[in-house]
Amino acid sequence: MELALIIGLDTLNFTLGLLLVTMGLVVIFGLMNVINMAHGEFFLLGAYTMYMVQQAKMPFWTALLFAPILLAVIGFLIEEFVIRHVYHRFIDTILATWGISLALKQAVIVIFGPSSQSINNPLPEPVEVFGVVYPGYRLFIMGVSLLLATGTFLFFYRTNIGLAARGVIANRAMAASLGINTRFVDRATFAFGAATAGLAGAVMAPIMSVDPQMGVGFLIPAFLSILVGGTTSLLGALLGTGIIGTSSTIVSSIWSQVVAQVVVFGLAIVIIRLFPEGLTGRRK
Amino acid sequence: MKKSIGYISSCGIWIALALAPLVLDEWGVSQFAQYMTYGIFALSLAFIWGQAGILCFGQAIFFGLGAYLMALTTLEKFSWFGGSQAIGLILAVLGPGLAAHVVGQLLFRGRGLSGAYFAIVTLATAVIVEIIAQHWSYIGGFNGLLGVPPLVVIWREGLDAFITPMENYYTIFFSALLIYLALLGMVRSPLGIVLATLKDEEYRTRAFGYNIANLKIIAFTCSGAVAGIAGGLFTTQFGFVSPPLTGFALSTEVLIWVAVGGRGVLLAAFLGAIVVRYIENVLSDTLGSYWLMALGTLFIAAVVVAPRGLFGKLLQLPLPRRFRQFVPKKL
Repeated sequence: MELALIIGLDTLNFTLGLLLVTMGLVVIFGLMNVINMAHGEFFLLGAYTMYMVQQAKMPFWTALLFAPILLAVIGFLIEEFVIRHVYHRFIDTILATWGISLALKQAVIVIFGPSSQSINNPLPEPVEVFGVVYPGYRLFIMGVSLLLATGTFLFFYRTNIGLAARGVIANRAMAASLGINTRFVDRATFAFGAATAGLAGAVMAPIMSVDPQMGVGFLIPAFLSILVGGTTSLLGALLGTGIIGTSSTIVSSIWSQVVAQVVVFGLAIVIIRLFPEGLTGRRK
Repeated sequence: MKKSIGYISSCGIWIALALAPLVLDEWGVSQFAQYMTYGIFALSLAFIWGQAGILCFGQAIFFGLGAYLMALTTLEKFSWFGGSQAIGLILAVLGPGLAAHVVGQLLFRGRGLSGAYFAIVTLATAVIVEIIAQHWSYIGGFNGLLGVPPLVVIWREGLDAFITPMENYYTIFFSALLIYLALLGMVRSPLGIVLATLKDEEYRTRAFGYNIANLKIIAFTCSGAVAGIAGGLFTTQFGFVSPPLTGFALSTEVLIWVAVGGRGVLLAAFLGAIVVRYIENVLSDTLGSYWLMALGTLFIAAVVVAPRGLFGKLLQLPLPRRFRQFVPKKL
């Protein structure tokens, strides 16, 4: 029973962590139809922001503020100088963002070196939940993820700006002719997506090995989650990360992490093949 | 006059490559033979991406499969072939071709995948293949297989039979030329013209009664086979195979070569691979870790500013004569 509870908590923890990373990706993909291959590096920069804050002996919490701001600025610049020029060439956005990913990762290696940095855990005390002892910081991550997901949902479904953004998703030309500034929506969306990736990186940094390759490890599961769940809604991201996260944790607790990766990626490919619009997508 | 520029510059490049050993030392000759092997790999990607518009993020799967098949055969892991290099090369064509055919059947049939979905699925597949290669001890696991012998020539005996750098150069050169001409022939055939329509007007092509899935599968199979030959030839020059040859990193590298060279023109992609590898070799000492930043930036620039790549415009051949009548006069 206790084992089941721990696996359950691990599953929830991994799923919510993945959701934290996927959130920005699904907003950018769903809204702008841009496959952002640099998302993993945005995450990476967020984690390194946490590292720098720690080096500067500033309190942990400030990193949670700095990382999203820094990444919003970077996202804004990248949108302005690169993405804007390839909106109409869907496939090319993959390539352009892949180039950005290469350059950013290499920049991190040049500045911080290729080795991994460790970050102190700000909440080292374990906490007892439902009779099992669980690391407190992991619970904190789960909380942040839930807050961010709820916040994003409320923003897109309960505010006027969110309504405008969804209008742009549904029909860009019509939204533009109704007077919505689609350029502003694009900029804001990309910056927002980058900011959430930065926040995810900063939040996750203390429990990960912070090294220049950490972004790639999350990128592929996050993409598969989106495609499995469906690209057009936030609910799809929730479902997709749920499936990927749950199957990963369960398979890796039975066999090993290597088997889990192969099985989960394979499973995701089969689902994507059978439901090209994603599980929540409408059948054409 | 203007039409013939593409022909002249294309022939010029092949002549230059044929004469290059005259000015290169032995090290340079073996280096350029390697670059041309990567060039063949780039041709395989340019064929499906530039011609049929299928963006494959897992092209190294087929390259690595060819390399592994060649290594397994010549190292007599497949003992029933007696280490024959000829059979190794044949397997390095047939195996990846078959693999590409199967992947194509699975992904293109019915409501097939296209665009970004196909790209991400092939990316994930490349990761899976690399992980499997790392953990399969029969094919060497993490270390891969070492000590793959270089090619031997039939007109010499014993230890002398191993190929000299010069002979190797011309073996690769003529393989590349043959593959280029074969792919060019396909691109310029009626089949190639139909494939080219898939790039932007897939529905219209279907409305004309073409079977889209079949066309894509044919293109993908050919591309896989070509990538496989490149892998097989690569192994004989480097003497080893290892899991990264099948994976994610090489798959994206070849994308960069093709995008920088020019995806729409076969020879431009081929040249892209040679030029990028050459510059990397020359500059990686001086630039050190800044090299990858420069390459990433160059790649972004190529994608955003010059979708036709560095050489696409220069090497663009005019349409075959029999198709010219269908092009409106003023465009």
